This record gives sequence, C-alpha cells and structure tokens, in this order.
Amino acid sequence: MPPASTTIVPVLPDQVAGGDGARQIANPLREGLRLERIPEPCTMVICGATGDLTVRKLGPALYNLMLGGFLPPEFSVVGFARRPISDDEFRELLRQGIDQYSRNRPVKPSVWKSFSRGIEYHAGEFGDPDSYTDLAKRLDRIDRDRGTAGNRLIYLAVPPALYPEIVKQLGAAGLAETGEERRDGKRGWVRVIVEKPFGSDIGSARKLNREIGEVFGESQIYRIDHYLGKETVQNLAVFRFGNGLFEPIWNRRYIDSVQITVAETVGVEGRGEFYDQTGALRDIVQNHALQLMTMFAMEPPVEFMASDLRDEKLKVLRAVKPMTVADVADNAVRGQYVSGWVEGHKVHAYRDEPEVDPESETETFVALKLSIDSWRWAGVPFYLRTGKAMPTRVTEIAVQFRRAPLALFARAGAPQFDPNILAVRIQPDEGILLRFGAKVPGQGLQIRSVNMDFRYGSSFAVDSPDAYETLLLDAMIGDPSLFTRGDEVERAWEILDPVLRAWPEGRGGPLHFYGAGTWGPPAADELLERDQRAWRRL
Amino acid sequence: MASRSAQRELAVHRRLMEFGEAETLATPVWEAKGTEVATIEAQLARLWGLPDASDGDGEARVTEKGLPHARASVLNLIVTVVDAEAAEQVVQTMMSLGVRHPSRAIVLVADHQARGAALDARISTHCHVAPAMEDERICYEEVILTVRGEAAEHLSGVVAPLLIHDLPTFVWWPGDPPFAHPVFDQLVELGDRLVIDSADFSDLLVGMRRLANLRRRSGVGDLAWERLAIWQERIAQFFDAPRFRRYLPNLNRMVIRYAVPAGHRRASRANPEMPIHQAASPMAQAVLLAGWLAARLEWRRYKTLEWLDGRGFRLRLEGRHEMVDLHIQPEETDSVTPGELTSVHIRAYGETGAAEFIIDRSADEATIATNADGMTALLRQVVMEEPRPAELLSAQLTANPKDPVYESALRAAVIFLAAARSGEPLSSRNAEVSAAQELGG
Repeated sequence: MPPASTTIVPVLPDQVAGGDGARQIANPLREGLRLERIPEPCTMVICGATGDLTVRKLGPALYNLMLGGFLPPEFSVVGFARRPISDDEFRELLRQGIDQYSRNRPVKPSVWKSFSRGIEYHAGEFGDPDSYTDLAKRLDRIDRDRGTAGNRLIYLAVPPALYPEIVKQLGAAGLAETGEERRDGKRGWVRVIVEKPFGSDIGSARKLNREIGEVFGESQIYRIDHYLGKETVQNLAVFRFGNGLFEPIWNRRYIDSVQITVAETVGVEGRGEFYDQTGALRDIVQNHALQLMTMFAMEPPVEFMASDLRDEKLKVLRAVKPMTVADVADNAVRGQYVSGWVEGHKVHAYRDEPEVDPESETETFVALKLSIDSWRWAGVPFYLRTGKAMPTRVTEIAVQFRRAPLALFARAGAPQFDPNILAVRIQPDEGILLRFGAKVPGQGLQIRSVNMDFRYGSSFAVDSPDAYETLLLDAMIGDPSLFTRGDEVERAWEILDPVLRAWPEGRGGPLHFYGAGTWGPPAADELLERDQRAWRRL
Repeated sequence: MASRSAQRELAVHRRLMEFGEAETLATPVWEAKGTEVATIEAQLARLWGLPDASDGDGEARVTEKGLPHARASVLNLIVTVVDAEAAEQVVQTMMSLGVRHPSRAIVLVADHQARGAALDARISTHCHVAPAMEDERICYEEVILTVRGEAAEHLSGVVAPLLIHDLPTFVWWPGDPPFAHPVFDQLVELGDRLVIDSADFSDLLVGMRRLANLRRRSGVGDLAWERLAIWQERIAQFFDAPRFRRYLPNLNRMVIRYAVPAGHRRASRANPEMPIHQAASPMAQAVLLAGWLAARLEWRRYKTLEWLDGRGFRLRLEGRHEMVDLHIQPEETDSVTPGELTSVHIRAYGETGAAEFIIDRSADEATIATNADGMTALLRQVVMEEPRPAELLSAQLTANPKDPVYESALRAAVIFLAAARSGEPLSSRNAEVSAAQELGG
C-alpha cells in the first residue's frame, strides 16, 4: 500500500484558484457544503435610511439573513439620510421595523445585540459634498475596525429623482471606485442597487443610465426587478432546457400563438397618485410582462449564468417587431375600470379612487399584440394582457399549439375540439398545465378536453424565500441574474415607446371602460377575434 | 452554471424558506391480515383510480376538490423498523415532514421468528392542508407491512411490487442496522440511497467501519451528519475571509465537545419529538466533525495520546505545517439533546501570534467569536436550533445520492476511532499501515 493512502482526501484541482502562490486558495471547508453562498465581509450603505422601504423591507431582510447565518460576522450597515438622529435612534427605528414587518419576529434580543453593533447612522444632506467625504472616512474606519475589506454595497432607497445627485456625489467622493483604480490603494468591490421604476420612458431611462454610467460601471449596477422571483426564473429555465420533450416543439412550426396574462384583483390600493402618473403599461407591461415573454421565448443560453441569460433575453427584445404610432390602434387596447364587483366586494370606479384625477385617462388595463421576428417565432403572435380589478388574480403564460392537420373525427360525428394548451402558471399556484383531447368513454365518439395539472407546491416545497433577502444576498455575492441590465431596460422602453407616445395624444384608439370584475373591455376580445383566436378563460 | 451549483442554489433557498408547516390528516383506507402482495398492489392501484359506476362499495377514494386526485410523484421511501411501536414513531415523523413527503412510504415491520400470518397490511392516505395553499390538499399513501416467518428473510420481493415505478427510492433504517444480514443487502440494493443515523450504532467503530466498506450502488445519508450541517457552515464561515483563511494550514489545536446527560440521570431528552434517536453513540457527531476537518485539511494521524473510556479521546495529528491536537470530550448538560455538539474551539498560529475561532452553544443560541490578527475580537450571537427529526429526514430526501465529502469524513472518523481505541501510541509509519487496513485496502 503506498504511503499516500493515509492522506485522507487528495487535493482536488478546483480547490486551488490559480497556481501561483500570490493568488488566494479557495476555502477547502466549502467543498460540498450545502450552503455555499455566504458573501464576503462588506458594508451596506443605505441611502434613504429612514424611509419606508428601509424600515419595512431592508431592515427585516437583513435581520433574517443575519438570523439564518447568511451574513459574515464583519457585515456592517451605515444608514445615510437627512434626519439628524443618533446611531441608537437609527437602530431603534430598524428594530421597530423588524418587530412589525419581519417574517421572524419579534427580534431575538441576543441576536439583535450582536447585529446592531455593526449598525451606524450617518446624517447628511444628499446634495452636500461634505456628507460624502465624511461618509468615505466613516467607511474607511469601519474597514479598519470590523474588517469589511473595502467591499461596499450602496442601496439607493430614495425617490428616483434623487438618483442622479447621489450617484454624482458618490463618484466625486471616490466612493464608486473599485479594485485597482481606487485611490486609497485598497481592493474591494463597490455595487449600487437601484430600485424600480427605472425611468418612465425611453428618454428618461437613457438619461438615467447615462448619469449612473458616468460614475459606476455596468457590472457595478444592480437594477431591481423582482417581479420574477428566482424560483420562477429557474423553474422556467429548467422546464424548457432541462427536458428533451418541450424544446423541440417550442417554435413556430408547432406553436400557434402565445398569451401572457398578468391579472390583479386589486385596484390601486392607496397608490392612487403614483399609479395615476404611471398606468398599467409602465407599471406591469414594460417590466413584468416583457420579462415573462423573454424568459419564455429566449434561445438556450450557452451557460446558465447571468451574462448569458441576459444576452439571450436582450436578443428576444431586440427581435420584437417595431411598432409605429400608426400601428398602435391595431395592436394595443387600453382600458380603465368603472365600478363593479370583484370577489364579492363592491369596487369603486378608478376615477373615484383617492388621489386619482376625476378625469384621468390613465389605463388600468392593457392588451397588446407583439411579434417576435426571429427564426423561432416569426409569425407567432404574442398577446399580452394585464389589468387591475380583474375577476381573478393570475399570472400565466399559455401556449396554444397548432391543431392536428386533419379533423379526422369530425366525420365520425365528433366536432373539432379545442387546441392543445400548455400553460405555465406563475401565480398563485406555480405549475404547469397541459390540455389535450380525450375520448369520452362510451359507444359514441365524443372528444373532451382534459387538463393535466402539475403544481410545484404539491410536489416540492411551497414557499420561496422573501424577495428582498434573495436580492440582497445575490447583490452581495455578485450574482446579477435577477437584476436587469441597462440595455434590457432601454430596449423594453423602446418597444413600448410608440404606444406611450400615441396614447396621450389621443391616437392609437380610445380609452375603453370595463366593469371591475370583468376581463377588460370588449375591444380586447376583438383584438384576438380579428385573428380568429380568443383569450383563455381564467 | 452546472447542475451542482444549481443544487446549491436550491439548498440555500431551502434554508431561506420557512420549513413547510402543514396540517396532516391521516385516513385509514384498507387493512387486511394474512393477505397477499398482489392484493395490496391492487388496493394501491385503486386508490387513485377514477370512481366508476360498477364500484358501489363506497370504499375510500382520494379526491381533491371533488376531482380524482392527479399528482406528480417524486420518490418512494422504504422504512424498516423492529416493531409496531417503532412503526408508529416513524409514521409520526413522516407526517411532520409537511409538504416534503415521499409519494409512497412503505413501513416494514419484519419479524422472522414470529409465527402466524405471513403478511398483514394497512394502507392509509395522508393529506396535508398547507396554510399557504388555501384549499389545496397534497396527499401521499403509506403502507405498513408486517412480515413474519420466512417471508421476512425475503423482504425485497415483498416490497418491490409495491413501489411506484421508476422513481428514486430511499431506504431509511432507523436504529442499529444489521449490516451483515442478507435482508439488509437486499433492501439497500433496492434503493438509491440508504438513510441511517450513526448515533444509533451500538458500537460506533464497528458500525462506521461497516458503513465505510459497504459495497453498494446507493449512496449513504447519515442523520448525524445532517445535524452537523449548521456547524460545518459556521466553521467554514470563519475561513471565508481571505485574511483568516491563511490560518487554515496552521491549525494546531481543536477541541470538540458534545452533550451527554448531566449526572446519572438518563434520557431527560431536550427534544422529546425524537423518540427514535436514542443516541446509543452520542460521540458520532463529534467524530464525524473531526473527520470532516481532517479530510478537508489533509491531516494525518500521528499518535494517540489518550482514550477516554469510549466517551472521548485525544489524538495528535499531522497537519500541513503544524502538529494538531484533537480532543473530543463529553460535556454534561441538559440544555441540548445528548450527542449534539456544545462547542468547537480551534486554535492556530499566525505571523501575529495565536488566533482563536470559537463556537459555544447553549440551548438554541450560539456565540461565535474570532480572535485573530490582533484585531478587536469579533463576536456575534446567532440562532442555532436543533433540527427537528422531520427536518433531518426531509433534507436527506432532497439530497444528492452520493456525498463524497461525507464519505471521506466517515473514513477519517473510522481511522480516528480505531486509533483511539487501540490506545497505544503509534509511530506515523504504523499509522499509515493500520489506516490502510481500516479502509479495507
């Protein structure tokens, strides 16, 4: 027996990152561990630290991550806002937020005690250069005291109008510099998280991208769009690319059309002012519905990693056939709900909602027909619809397959039955549904559509982790796959630009009204009837 | 991103998720004494069948929202137990698996010495009503088989026809598995993964050695290993920061303490939910943790210093740059379940003096401290709850069939136990030889 056999395990080649001694050797204890996503030590700077988002979402998310042991012990937080409060007052603010909004509550005193030691507050004006130079000094001190190694995550939890100013000031104070270019000679990463909405049209999105891009590199910018949870993105990718069965028929040869539905039962719920300036097209279609469409329609990525995924998603958006303002009337329908009944409750008309202009022309419903001019999808219409005060809450992508070439059973007395449908349901019960025709048992030849229904929830675990926990962890680890790239955002705005321009000018068809609790105005049905198709009844 | 990292992602999400809580309704469906495998098979087939007009006997059917229940099947689980009482405990644990249940569970009570009918069977369905899923019900079926006499020597023939075809099959063997027995081999051969708990082995060295030498196509999952997951995570975290990682080759002392009942009072169990786990070998976790670090850091056995009467030991090991003192010690406490670790202390030499990495657990919290580089000691308090049995089992049911990290830790643990037990100081040359023998080489 050679003596080497006493070495209990040989060094695996992938444990050593780079052969030269100067490079870091990977942590050998991580090999095969279940949880391998602990971020490096870092400081998170929250701009807008006293705001609602921080108290309701960020504080609880960080606490839960700490509670679960997902954050390194060095992890530190600096709250940055105008309000002149002390470190202790800021900690108390966070603590109250956790007590009220965290999924684990109340706060465990011992855990909080050790976590709160790493929390500080930095009072300052966002427009004052001195606040940023002081912030830089503070961060350097934390690096020294707590060993956060110059890694910084900056969260812009402020209204979008403040982004440019803050970003500019961060740049001027040297707080955006990363790695070797850093003046202080320290290594470390700097990332900035930008909340949605990202712009309100193509012009403002480009401007914002330019302003942030002057200070931060694209790889440092994390634009949030957390509608598609990580689970869903991965489920869709696994369903399409992990199975040999579906991908071969995922094209124009077999697919007749695609319907994407994002329906909410709620109205504007206290967001009247925001919503009245935004509308369904900006609120849902530009980000959520188009994200769903790209995940559904994209080509297989070379590797299942962020950059490849984003490349493929962008290719889909680039292939969407451009519309002109003159086309809008033929391809888009807008609606606004009037009073009605949803889920047994009376709902007031949109124009009667608080903070909504009584003569508002804002759309609460959009139906849209898009085409993707690619080899895979040419000639397959994509129908998108989204609305508020709909009869049920549902988000799904439904594929309608082509019919069998011959109505073979019509001669035997069975009428043509419905086409095959494969529906990928995102909400509320994530799952896959396949509809096909089956013979009704008996002497005659009757054909009935039956549903085969698979639910992730009844086969595997039910809940997904909180969106903000996943997002913060991803940003600290440097995984941008759930965040939107600048060119994606711009292209999505570009696609909708003709519609956004046509509607306020009164072109592109009138604003239709629909009763709350219905599936939108009849004009939306006519959009499909013109193509001899119909919306799925959900 | 390869499938491996996708699995990591999934694992993280699992940890981030609240453990699936669900109410379970158990419904007995069918029961028979002295029956046949073919009859049980037919009953199982009817369970999910459509109600048809000819079937007017009103037997229980599993339906969902008034419709025949369609479902996605995920896995089979075979559990072997010694008696009806143990079967009941297993059923309880499975019921608290929440939504992460097997699609079909077969509980085997085998008694080859008993007389009477060769085969009794009881079929129940279990439906969970998960709060998050509103009126959704998720069902699985469980078959309890009592096999007597000679048939108990040929269990795989009884079980195989009752499994859902072509699904991953897990074999869970609570207690001290009869490694040498042909029935054990048969059942292990039937499964893709064997789940045991090394803390249940009556003789830790013998059991672990057999486990390490098991010839099998299936992987092994060890619940004692699963309980260590949180400790491994915390220890690995110390060395995630590059400035601390350079201490890794220079570790020179590691003390692992594990809980034993205080005084002579036996079995005042901190975790009454876990009746199956009697912790016959409470040292299992501690030895596996030592084996894990040794395997990862390539330590070799050098010398046995002390053998504490089967309750602990001191070994000298040869690390990369330093000799390492490994202590495993029992600690009398009632605050955690016997066998659970209570503390891990690691010491290393660095350029700026000694560094210490400490985890001290009391009840469901732990203090984690790093004292190195002459920097302010980093101290934090984290939650460290004992995982519930259903959680452990659930993790095993979703894990990969093969776990090379566990296998190397197990082999190292066997070497340590054998060395400690032999008691006499060995030269490193001898150690090599006997280590090779331990591994069956």
